[in-house]
Amino acid sequence: MQFLLDSFHKAFLLLLHLDSEVFQIVWLSITVSFWSTIFSASVGLPVGALLALKDFKGKSVILLLLNTTMAAPTVVIGLFCYVLLSRVGPLGSLGLLFTPSGMVFGLFILATPIAANLTVAAIESLDKRLMLTCELLGASPAQQFWLVIKEARFAVMAAVVIAFGRIISELGIAMMLGGNIRGFTRTMTTAIALETSKGEFELGLALGFVLMAVALFINGLLFLVQKERS
Amino acid sequence: MTGSASAIQGQSLTKIYGSGNAEVTGMEDVTFSLSIGEVVALLGPSGSGKSTLLTIMGLINAPTSGKLLIGEALVTDGPVAKVNLRVYRRKFIGYVLQKTNLIPFLTAVENVQLALEINDIPCRAARNRAMELLESLDVVHRSGNLPYMLSGGEQQRVAIARALANKPMLVLADEPTAALDSVRGRQVMELFRTVAREYGATVMVATHDHRSLDIFDRILEMEDGRLVSQKQANKDSPIGQD
Repeated sequence: MQFLLDSFHKAFLLLLHLDSEVFQIVWLSITVSFWSTIFSASVGLPVGALLALKDFKGKSVILLLLNTTMAAPTVVIGLFCYVLLSRVGPLGSLGLLFTPSGMVFGLFILATPIAANLTVAAIESLDKRLMLTCELLGASPAQQFWLVIKEARFAVMAAVVIAFGRIISELGIAMMLGGNIRGFTRTMTTAIALETSKGEFELGLALGFVLMAVALFINGLLFLVQKERS
Repeated sequence: MTGSASAIQGQSLTKIYGSGNAEVTGMEDVTFSLSIGEVVALLGPSGSGKSTLLTIMGLINAPTSGKLLIGEALVTDGPVAKVNLRVYRRKFIGYVLQKTNLIPFLTAVENVQLALEINDIPCRAARNRAMELLESLDVVHRSGNLPYMLSGGEQQRVAIARALANKPMLVLADEPTAALDSVRGRQVMELFRTVAREYGATVMVATHDHRSLDIFDRILEMEDGRLVSQKQANKDSPIGQD
């Protein structure tokens, strides 16, 4: 018990003194998550809108694939991306493996189906008359997309927040594509896993507290979005 | 006044929904011609094909066979579009539905403005035109309100303003007074007559409301997907004598 209390005590001290390693790890996690979310949203939202608004051959196959990707274990996605980014892989020449950019790539692959699927659900739950109105007014596909996203903005914002939450709490992809290199690709989740495996809980606990604070912040944001929507 | 030139013509229009055993004939061999500035009622019980005809005239649905001409231009030949339908909808057709289908997160003036901006009218000019339209339809005092803040009659006026925004040659209305009481319903119907007079638009209104038929120049009647009669409306009414 004393051991646990000591670990908690040391973890709080690390946070209190703004330990440079803790700060660096938190900053990298937030930066990587931010860019992964931006890229995922940039692709996922238009793809989701397209899938929700247009009927075309193969649409159900794409939806099935997106759903499957959502449920895929992150280590499998990590493995797939590792093969792509490794020196012998098709994207090996980019030199992204074991870099923050490589992690962004993998997390983008993870979160894009989430953003797309939640956008599909958000748009499909809209009043069908909005789409009819767009048609009646002769709106172009881009104009329709903008109007629909505007109407579904709260649900779409929730999709982006959920994608960010999924990204920042992810371990498998960050570990496989980042390599957990100290001072370079070590994120909160990979550091927690490493410190725990070493039996040194202080840093892990400190980062765990930050991660919990981020989770609380994200849920608070979601709560506010949903409150605004209702 | 109605002109003799044709605003829109349908020639042997047929619409079949589904295929095989699930095939349903929505409309069969419908031929009609509406003159420029004419105000026409389309009567018929539910399921008679009124909405099918309006959606084909509004270029929302394609006919299975038959031809549709707007002015002199062949627009659809069977299911094949001969023009860019989106552009035609935007430039030539205004549509008013039973439930007003105003966009809920836009104010009254923004709803009208949107139709103009979709047609590439610059924002400021669109705003001015939208306000003018709301003023002419006596609903300008509600321009900054969201649709849910408006009464049924006011919503319908805004919807009519939006339908008129791009000065369409054809205004189509599907049961526009169904959600209104008789007084408001009458007012909205009279608006269509005003629209034809002041904007030179051809108007077709699908309706169940037999109390306002004196407003129209002509009455078309549908039954079981067929156009069963076309007759001149009662012109003794003061409103009919414009």
